[in-house]
Amino acid sequence: MVMNTLTLTNRKHGFRAIRQGEPEWSHEQRRRAWESYHDAPNPDRITHLWRYTKPEHFLISNPGEAMLRDVPSRTGSTGIDTTLSSGYSAHGISRADLSVGIAVADEYSRAGLYVSDLHSAAADHRYPVQEHLGKLVGEPFGKFESANLALWNAGFFVFVPDNTVVREPIYLSHQPLDEVLLSRSLVVIGRNSEVTIIDDYGSDVARPCPLANSVMEIFTGDSSRLRYISLSRFNETTPSIFTQRIRADRNSHVLSVFGSFGGSVTKVNAGAVLAGPGAESLMYGLAFGDGRQHLDHHTLHHHVSGETHSDLHVKVVLKDNSDSAYTGLIRIEEKADNSQAYQENRNLLLNEGTRAESVPELEILTDQVSCTHGATVGPIDPEMVFYLKSRGYSNDEATRTVVTGFVEPTIRLLPDDLQDMFRGLVRRKLEGK
Amino acid sequence: MHDSDLLFSMRDVHVEVEGKEVVKGVSLDIRRGEKHAIMGPNGSGKSSLANALAGHPAYSITSGTALIAGRDLLQMDATERSLAGLFLAFQYPLAIPGVTVANFLRAAVKARSNGDESVIKDFRKTIKANFKLLEIDDSFATRYLNEGFSGGEKKRLEILQMLMLKPLVAILDETDSGLDIDALKVVSKGINYSASSDNSILLVTHYQRILDYVRPNYVHVMMDGRFVRSGGPELALQLESEGYDRIREETAAKVEV
Ligand SMILES: Nc1ncnc2c1ncn2[C@@H]1O[C@H](COP(=O)(O)OP(=O)(O)OP(=O)(O)O)[C@@H](O)[C@H]1O
Ligand SMILES: [Mg+2]
Repeated sequence: MVMNTLTLTNRKHGFRAIRQGEPEWSHEQRRRAWESYHDAPNPDRITHLWRYTKPEHFLISNPGEAMLRDVPSRTGSTGIDTTLSSGYSAHGISRADLSVGIAVADEYSRAGLYVSDLHSAAADHRYPVQEHLGKLVGEPFGKFESANLALWNAGFFVFVPDNTVVREPIYLSHQPLDEVLLSRSLVVIGRNSEVTIIDDYGSDVARPCPLANSVMEIFTGDSSRLRYISLSRFNETTPSIFTQRIRADRNSHVLSVFGSFGGSVTKVNAGAVLAGPGAESLMYGLAFGDGRQHLDHHTLHHHVSGETHSDLHVKVVLKDNSDSAYTGLIRIEEKADNSQAYQENRNLLLNEGTRAESVPELEILTDQVSCTHGATVGPIDPEMVFYLKSRGYSNDEATRTVVTGFVEPTIRLLPDDLQDMFRGLVRRKLEGK
Repeated sequence: MHDSDLLFSMRDVHVEVEGKEVVKGVSLDIRRGEKHAIMGPNGSGKSSLANALAGHPAYSITSGTALIAGRDLLQMDATERSLAGLFLAFQYPLAIPGVTVANFLRAAVKARSNGDESVIKDFRKTIKANFKLLEIDDSFATRYLNEGFSGGEKKRLEILQMLMLKPLVAILDETDSGLDIDALKVVSKGINYSASSDNSILLVTHYQRILDYVRPNYVHVMMDGRFVRSGGPELALQLESEGYDRIREETAAKVEV
């Protein structure tokens, strides 16, 4: 395969083929998205999604640079050696230069589980990439999602065939290099199938990266079960924007969790569209800010179909000089009768100098629903700290215990096998610095 | 020279809360193996005194001295007071969501183990035995501390903590309030089990009833921030039949003189 990389300028009409190895439709999609990014003004700070964060953080200063990459050969030295650790069904590593490493357990390969980088999958017509890519998070979504669609230089494709139970999690690691990471991933799950995906942005060994703009789209088949965990743990100098949508079809069951621990400015937009009757989405979020971190989380539960159920708990802990904004939208469409939606956001402030806002947003276009929401913002309770100290806890231990207790009920809602990972992430954040 | 049998000693302790003096000079000596009871009308300052001694930041001791086993209590923060052997069973125990009873106590026991591994190793055994003694269901080990507990369950949990932490001086603030008749017996059993010739107990109560089970050596009556009368167990019986009015009148008369 010949991989020619053509030059590209920062002008709208300068967009030409980026990677000739890509199929025509993908090239065309990139071109249109590029125009859309280029034409769109910066988001208006008045629109609710941008009230709390400056769009300028996410502008790509030199888009050409983000695209000027040779696609490394899969077998050559830039392919990443990947070994499958026990307890996982598949393991993927993806970097901003389109280098990848993929390992899939034989058992699941034989069953038809397919995990690859998005770039290869787009060129492989055996898989339904074209009909799904950009359909949930595409051009109409917003300026930065368009940028991602035009310029993605990393990311995965996961395909789970019908009637396939993947017991162990698939672990996807998006590793930053010293350049802009534009990761786009797509997951398509067949009917009656089950899968768990851990989607790790930044990973443990987070290197400073000037900007991360990531997108994940997931389509679930009828009666499927998805557990999806995204982790944001970029280096503390990295601004990151992450948009994630899951479409839950008839009778499907979705448990999604986001954990925001790293980054300088971290903007997350996580949502599920309940598209078929009987669909259920449980969404849990944990965010922990320290230093000068700025967190901006938006969640969406969009009840398009009736007879759907959503539940959402987001906990935010802030220390040092960090701050957080949370907006949570529940939208229930006119015809979505007999839907149930629950939403709760709690914020714990460990010291003065932290700030949190919580804004529930309800757009409910039918009467036949039940919808509850609640939000709290408050400092750590000095009575609790005293109670613990009166039993011999040191001040720090008491504070740590109260924080652990604050997040623990949410952690216990997670699948058993993932709870300790989240406890560890919280502990590290508590002990850090 | 310090009398090594004197576990607790305070002199002329004054306590302020929200800028108001609520304890107006109290003194008390408690020796090894002794049990003392404090009785007194609502709002007389009993809990304020207890909280101030435990190091609650809202209650400040504005003057006076307090020693635990000869060490200056007032130089210590709440943590150090606990590690020095002071324990307060709260009148209104707080819920700590997300922290299980077992994890909470394991850390508290560890904090005073001085690196003695066996204490931690025996933790499960000890807590199980104490659950049994206090007739607490084992399932409480994994419940969040005091969250959704009934009034009586919270009181039992306070005594469980005392049994696990083995304090030198335990102040039990109305641990008997809100207990049904059977629970009162169980809790009293727990208190008596922990009481030995090496430690001491200061019981704050409104009722004679618990004193039938946990027999105090001394009873002190607190009114308006002062100890106005001290005596033996018979004082509690007298209060039970006569109420506080007579003591109040006598005290008022004394003040006028
Ligand atoms: N945290 C507080 N803030 C304001 N006032 C307080 C506080 N704690 C106690 N007080 C006041 O101090 C006084 C003594 O209260 P305290 O709780 O010590 O009484 P008590 O003897 O324990 O009463 P009870 O028998 O009802 O438990 C009361 O007037 C009470 O209102
Ligand atoms: Mg009281």
